[in-house]
Amino acid sequence: MKVSSKDVISVNNFSFSYPQTKKPAISSMNFTVKEGEFFCIVGANGAGKSTLCDSLVGLIPQYFLGTTKGQVLVNGQETTKQTVAELSLEIGLVFQNPFNQLSYTTSTVAEELAYGLGNHGIPRSEMLDRVAAVAKKMRIESLLDRDPLTLSGGQIQRVAFGSTYILNPSILVLDECTTQLDPIGSEEIFTIIKQLNDEGVTVVMTDTETERLSMYADRILLLDNGLQMGVDKPQAIFAREDLEKLNISTPLNYQLTQELTKIGILDSPEFNQDIILEKIKEVENGYR
Amino acid sequence: MTDNWVRRLNPKTKLLMIPVFGIATIVSPGMLLGLFLLLVVIVMAWQANIIKKFLQTMISFGIPIAVMLFIIQGLYSPQNHTYVANLGFAKLGLEGLMYGGKLLVTLLVFMGSFYLFNKTIYSGELAAALIKSSLSDKGGYLILASLNVVPQMKRQLQVIKEAQEARGVQTGGSLLTRIKVFIPLMGPVILSSLIDTQERGMALELRGFDLKNVSKTSYIQVVDTKLDKLFRIGMLLFLIIVTAFSIYLKVRR
Repeated sequence: MKVSSKDVISVNNFSFSYPQTKKPAISSMNFTVKEGEFFCIVGANGAGKSTLCDSLVGLIPQYFLGTTKGQVLVNGQETTKQTVAELSLEIGLVFQNPFNQLSYTTSTVAEELAYGLGNHGIPRSEMLDRVAAVAKKMRIESLLDRDPLTLSGGQIQRVAFGSTYILNPSILVLDECTTQLDPIGSEEIFTIIKQLNDEGVTVVMTDTETERLSMYADRILLLDNGLQMGVDKPQAIFAREDLEKLNISTPLNYQLTQELTKIGILDSPEFNQDIILEKIKEVENGYR
Repeated sequence: MTDNWVRRLNPKTKLLMIPVFGIATIVSPGMLLGLFLLLVVIVMAWQANIIKKFLQTMISFGIPIAVMLFIIQGLYSPQNHTYVANLGFAKLGLEGLMYGGKLLVTLLVFMGSFYLFNKTIYSGELAAALIKSSLSDKGGYLILASLNVVPQMKRQLQVIKEAQEARGVQTGGSLLTRIKVFIPLMGPVILSSLIDTQERGMALELRGFDLKNVSKTSYIQVVDTKLDKLFRIGMLLFLIIVTAFSIYLKVRR
């Protein structure tokens, strides 16, 4: 699905300070996220990525006490006007540590997936259908009867992801949800996220793997020390000269495409692997 | 978990058994009723095919507690006036021993019925049973989450222990060495558990745990049979009769 022109998230001059701190954790945030967009947030540790994610889903200011300024709108409604639970039907959050996303009251993956549906009063017959559909999407059908606490990191993250997605939110916020996974587990999660995004789900993601973010992101928000340094396309963000100063590594694939641009294979830095391969093949065929 | 009639009992029935059996043991005069209730719990554990672990747990808990209670109450209870043995430095009193025995039986009845409850229900069953009966599921959540978080904390402890060992800290050896290592290990475990608790609370909010005016549903179907209802009414009647009889005996004295 293509990115539409409709803003599903609008952050207007939003600042938040935790109690008993002088410096705001995030300050004067101003950006929008479009429907169907793959929007990434990049910043060093302590830049304010998680605080921003918590603000988008209403945990700030409803769960965390502190001082807020400005507003966050999700689908046109201010996040303070609905409870976090009500908002979760529109915008879901997946945490870094999947174990903290579990309910700890269930003995099988199927029950764990259905837990949120039960809280929303979804009838059991519909629950069964949705559990089956989400399990298929998350590639965990074979794990439905397993105890969630006996699963591997990658498997448990897919269960945690599924337990958020099962509420059918149109926007997913993923806060470094692949950080604790091995490369295979991380790849599995990214594949699922990309698939959901292709199906129309708006994705807001923070991650430390800038290589992968650069491949998937439509736009990137750059944060430093709670300040918004810029929102732009990956090519523009990773072309910035101050990245090293902001403790952000330039993705290797960007460096590679920069070199390819210098020697004339690409017109401009490109993150789409298919386009890069096509261009290289063109050059290869030209030599032959 | 094997299928049997104890396992099939509604979780509410088994949950109610804990306070009913425990309180009945406390209020009844002497320890005969407590011993009978303990026997009932043992038979149920046998029927539920968990008798071996049940007895292991009860004995490993009961012996040290019994020794402690019999020493303290037998030797130093102010109610002692019938002495059964003279140890030289102190006399062993019958009243203290009886009181210690009563305390021990009460503890074992509480613990035994709780163990039976914990080992014969699936995690989500209690919450599902409470939701179905329109009772607060929050209480059920509290019990289940507390039970399930313990294995998670144990795992966390193991991870920190292995990390310490990798850095050359000796975590095995004599009891004293293990105690010395265990105490500093608890700091990070408790701290990380507290941090995790905050995030778990957030995750629950995001999954609609605190939604108001919603009639909650459950993935698990819990059956509440006539036998269950009969058991629960029977247990409550039993508690009322025992309490009334105990009050009558006290007043008569």
